[in-house]
Amino acid sequence: MNKFGQCSIALIATILGVLSAPALAQTEVYRARLSPMPTTPQTVNEITGEGEVILTLEGNTLTVEGSFSGMSSAAIAAHLHNGPPAQPGPVAHALEVQEAASGDIFAMLELTDEQVQALRDNALYVQVHSENNGPGELRGWIYLRSHFDS
Amino acid sequence: MTISKLKLSKQIGISLLLGGALAACDSGSAPAESTVAVAAGPSFDSQASSGSDLFATNCAACHGANLEGTRLGPLLTGGAFLQRWGTQTPALLLGNIQANMPPGGSGNLSDDDYVAIVAHILNENGVDSVTEPLTASTDFTIADNVSAVVARRERPEPPAPQGLTVAGNTEDFVEFVPLTTERLENPDPADWPSHRRNPHGHSYSPLDQINTDNVRGMTLEWVWNMHEGDSEPAPLVYNGIVYLINPGNVIQALDGRTGELIWEHWTGPANGQDMRNIAMYDDKIIQATTDARLVALDARTGEQVWETEIADSSLGFSNSSGPIIADGKVITGLAGCARYIPEDCYISAHDATTGELEWRFNTIAQAGEPGGDTWGDLDNVFRAGGETWITGTYDPETRLTYWGTAQQKPWVPVSRHLTINDAGLFTNSTVAVDIDTGSLDWYFQHVPAEALDLDEVFERVLVNRGDERLVFSLGKYGILWKNDRVSGEFRGFAETVFQNSFTHIDPETGAVTYREDIQNAQLDQWTSSCPSSAGGKDWHSMTYHPPTGLMIAPLSQTCLENAAREVDLVQGGGGLAASRKFFEMPGTDGKLGKLGAYNIDTMEEAWSFEQRASYHTGTISTGGNLLFAGDLDRYFRAHDVETGEVLWETRLGTSVQGHPVAFAIDGKQYIAVTAALGGTSPRTVPSVIATEITYPDHGNAIYVFSLPD
Repeated sequence: MNKFGQCSIALIATILGVLSAPALAQTEVYRARLSPMPTTPQTVNEITGEGEVILTLEGNTLTVEGSFSGMSSAAIAAHLHNGPPAQPGPVAHALEVQEAASGDIFAMLELTDEQVQALRDNALYVQVHSENNGPGELRGWIYLRSHFDS
Repeated sequence: MTISKLKLSKQIGISLLLGGALAACDSGSAPAESTVAVAAGPSFDSQASSGSDLFATNCAACHGANLEGTRLGPLLTGGAFLQRWGTQTPALLLGNIQANMPPGGSGNLSDDDYVAIVAHILNENGVDSVTEPLTASTDFTIADNVSAVVARRERPEPPAPQGLTVAGNTEDFVEFVPLTTERLENPDPADWPSHRRNPHGHSYSPLDQINTDNVRGMTLEWVWNMHEGDSEPAPLVYNGIVYLINPGNVIQALDGRTGELIWEHWTGPANGQDMRNIAMYDDKIIQATTDARLVALDARTGEQVWETEIADSSLGFSNSSGPIIADGKVITGLAGCARYIPEDCYISAHDATTGELEWRFNTIAQAGEPGGDTWGDLDNVFRAGGETWITGTYDPETRLTYWGTAQQKPWVPVSRHLTINDAGLFTNSTVAVDIDTGSLDWYFQHVPAEALDLDEVFERVLVNRGDERLVFSLGKYGILWKNDRVSGEFRGFAETVFQNSFTHIDPETGAVTYREDIQNAQLDQWTSSCPSSAGGKDWHSMTYHPPTGLMIAPLSQTCLENAAREVDLVQGGGGLAASRKFFEMPGTDGKLGKLGAYNIDTMEEAWSFEQRASYHTGTISTGGNLLFAGDLDRYFRAHDVETGEVLWETRLGTSVQGHPVAFAIDGKQYIAVTAALGGTSPRTVPSVIATEITYPDHGNAIYVFSLPD
């Protein structure tokens, strides 16, 4: 079993464990829509794809589950970055990503108190890097999932 | 933020001298001699050859493989190119391209690469008498080196259609009634006689035959295919006749009941450039042309009555919007003011009966004039921008005309050799100008020293609310501004889309504070901000619905990365000078289009409707409590004006673009809307973000809907 599969099983087990816990911590569910990095008419066919990431916060533990499709080439990395909406910033955490043009993203992260606050302030985002677009091909800022219901 | 009750003296007398900057060398007089290929150094032909490959890689995505233009960029060949650049030099063309293109940044293009691309463009445009390789300082006149142009000068070819091409008379359909000042200021409910219907710019019709109860039964009455080209049309309807501006500066008169063509007039030039609105007064239809002329036609027959020049188009001046009428005066704006030349942009007034110039108000303060000290130490010739490319409004009560002005050029302070502290009056402002004298009564600069190509130029909507006399505007930053229209004083604001360009907007004064990285942006330094240059709002007019007190605007949700480019202070140069990249606005779930309704008393959002496709029409509202808007994805919809609920929709032949209108004939109400192409950045930006939305690249038309009899 590869690292990705191990991660999936561990993640599912963790989720089941959390769900079966007698006293559930307050859960906050967040969402990021992944869309192409900044582009121009010259690059519009080279920076492609879309995706969705659901992030669940319990205490300081953030569970990240997502998928993407249609990138121009295989993913090589994914990160959680720190930066307010539309203002790129530094990497906060690495995420597990399937090395394909379409695939999944997973992570279970322990956030600092500052990072939890950044999450609540919409100052974290997910970015996926690909073979053809090393600086990044897909990106999405994280908001409470309910934000998108309005 | 500055408010000033200035009484400037009449500003007239713009010199139309070309100046000495465009000196041409007569390369055509070079002695004919056989040449021997020399291995060292490029020739014009070899430059053009390598430029062809570079163009294909760096330019063709927007301008087409054969320079024919696409929805993302204008064509670079033929008459349109030679009209714009024929009197200019390769050096100026090079400077323009190097400062502005490609939009995403110059990447790995070297100076020699840019020269080669210019050689390719010139070669494709028939420049064929060049014996020396191009350099950065090649200064021959381009058209003089196109043998086909030289030959045509000696033996003119048949011109494009000109003048009346279809003869007819509206009096064969309905008795003509002159459109008086009284009828313009208080329109008959059946008419839509001026852009946005009334002088206050409400884009509101009191007609209520089509309403929230029955709009679901609305069907197509007739459709009329228009001329192809870029177009943002705003039809007029008066006394049952539809007057329609087409691409190529062509105007048609149609029977509003049946869509039958009555007359057609080609004013020209026959290009495919965007034009928005026309005006009507007395018995005349009055148009501004894309080459900066004012032309009056007989509204009954389409025959030309008078013509005058707004500005010299050979200097780059143009118009993309038409005039308004204010008590018998034709008041018009001007565009194409980004070049470093002695002449600047202005608003001008002409007599509606004769076309005679009455006054001009310069939007760029000159050294030594009021506001002239807001441009640093820049010589007057390098003070650029301040276009008035969107038609203003008029208040008969104050006898002031209200216009928005565009931002300084180039787009970023460092490119224009200024700082964030150089406000650049009277750019990015509301200006209130006395219609009798052309003097400035007051101004309010919404965004001093604008730094991201986000202008505040759009329509000013005038609203009487109790004793208050208000003016509303909504610029590319997506901020709905409320000002007192007598004094100019700030009264409030609302953020209609996410913006992060400003860290603070003073609730008492309206003064904005740019983010620090935007304030200090240096050459080639990227900043990332929202909204993008497609605007939180752009040229599509918003509507004021008096029964509910709602201002309802078509909005756009995209963001940009922006980097300034270097621009030399050279007379004849200038330009826009920034690299840009575009992306979805965070938190919108990829919904580019938004209709936002705002209570003008509380300035709070009453409702919003968001969707993937961007909106490409102005909004209009009616006494039937309906709101109409159309989008890039070909949908034209009726919404409940109080809730935003979609009550009716249909899908047209191509993107729905322009300004809808409501009118009535013999007691029957109609809703008309145009489908069209072009439309500048509100189309080009969504085209690189919402790439899955497709539509035909032709199909300009006007569609007219009604309830079944």
